[in-house]
Amino acid sequence: MAYPKPLPHPTADTKPFWDGCKNHQLRFQKCTQCHHVRWPPSLFCPECHTSQTEWIVACGKGSVYTFAVFHRCFHKAFEGDLPYVTAIVELEEGPHLLTNIIGCPPDHIRCGMPVEVTWEDVSEEFSLPKFMPTS
Amino acid sequence: MLDAGLCHYVLVSYADNALSARRPDHHSGHILDDNAPVFGQFGAVAGYAMAAQRAMYTFHTGPETWKQIAVGQRKWANLNPMAMMADRPLTDEDYDRAPYIVEPFRLYDNCLISDGGRAYIVTSVERARDLKQPPAVIMGLGQHYPARDIAQSTTMAGPTGARIAGEMAFRMAGITPEDVDACEIYDCFTYAVEITLQDYGFFGPGEGEDWFKGGTIEPGGRMPVNTSGGQLSEVYFMGLTPLTEGVMQIMGRCGARQLGPATHTREPEIILCSDNGGILQSHMTAILRRD
Repeated sequence: MAYPKPLPHPTADTKPFWDGCKNHQLRFQKCTQCHHVRWPPSLFCPECHTSQTEWIVACGKGSVYTFAVFHRCFHKAFEGDLPYVTAIVELEEGPHLLTNIIGCPPDHIRCGMPVEVTWEDVSEEFSLPKFMPTS
Repeated sequence: MLDAGLCHYVLVSYADNALSARRPDHHSGHILDDNAPVFGQFGAVAGYAMAAQRAMYTFHTGPETWKQIAVGQRKWANLNPMAMMADRPLTDEDYDRAPYIVEPFRLYDNCLISDGGRAYIVTSVERARDLKQPPAVIMGLGQHYPARDIAQSTTMAGPTGARIAGEMAFRMAGITPEDVDACEIYDCFTYAVEITLQDYGFFGPGEGEDWFKGGTIEPGGRMPVNTSGGQLSEVYFMGLTPLTEGVMQIMGRCGARQLGPATHTREPEIILCSDNGGILQSHMTAILRRD
């Protein structure tokens, strides 16, 4: 059966990120001028406005910046997951990433809690970076 | 435009059929980023729930604070025959028993979805003085836009755009929060009311629960807030819900909910109105006074 949930829509800017995910790597742009690591991807560094950039692979560790627990179904395909947790994770390299916290009861999750990436292979093209409490 | 003589009157209007059209809930799913629906992040409620969660981690706040906002505003709606919730009282127990929508928000932390519209007219004070109704005069205005991408935001627990927008408006008006008689605050969710008043300086971070205690914002309270019931209990017409209520109160056209002797509150000489956009990503403050 086809994966029933929405899939990413890579753009010219975000394609390297999703290609990295396919290989279970979290890739972000790093400014070679001021070393700021950024998300979402962009042509220019939002800190120093230079265009010189390289893609780095993040270590996949971070902490929960904030989160929300869905108790109401907004999309049929997520109904079976209720209650599920969406979160913004602050990665060690700096960027904040919207994701899910899995493998943990929602009422155990706290801001500041250490988490690490885990991969969900959802289709031929896509693997989704999700996060679980650091073991 | 008015000063330059390009026009005499500006009509600002808003209308929506959001309730009867029943647009799909995932209409606003892209509010955090293009890939938000991939992770099941839908609706403005999720973004504000995240902001409120971060606030609970940063300072003392939570349901005990937000309940006072939801219940307090409902008391105003119960005095307003035009309010969607005019005939529906709301108690502390109703709030506590309501289901979570997106935690930490329960049902009554969320604004309404409404059909209808609002409008106001801007003109010079000179022209306004010749019109049928007494004018509400603009004393101060301010705007601020603190965040680009909401996921990268570090201001969701304050200071939001309300801090700088508020400072601009207070400076222009030459007043401080102590001079304000009532507030009409953009209230898409209860937490938005708390963080906006906090950033304006009505109380310090985490002092909201005590500040709201004892009916501060309710009829008879010392600082009435969202006197039509607001977007939580009257109608959701974006920034026009708070602004038009501020104007109507200053004009003295609010009937049973009119500030002053009718509701055992101060006569409204000065009313502060706010609006915000995105997930606390933009903010506007307008301070109005009697002519």
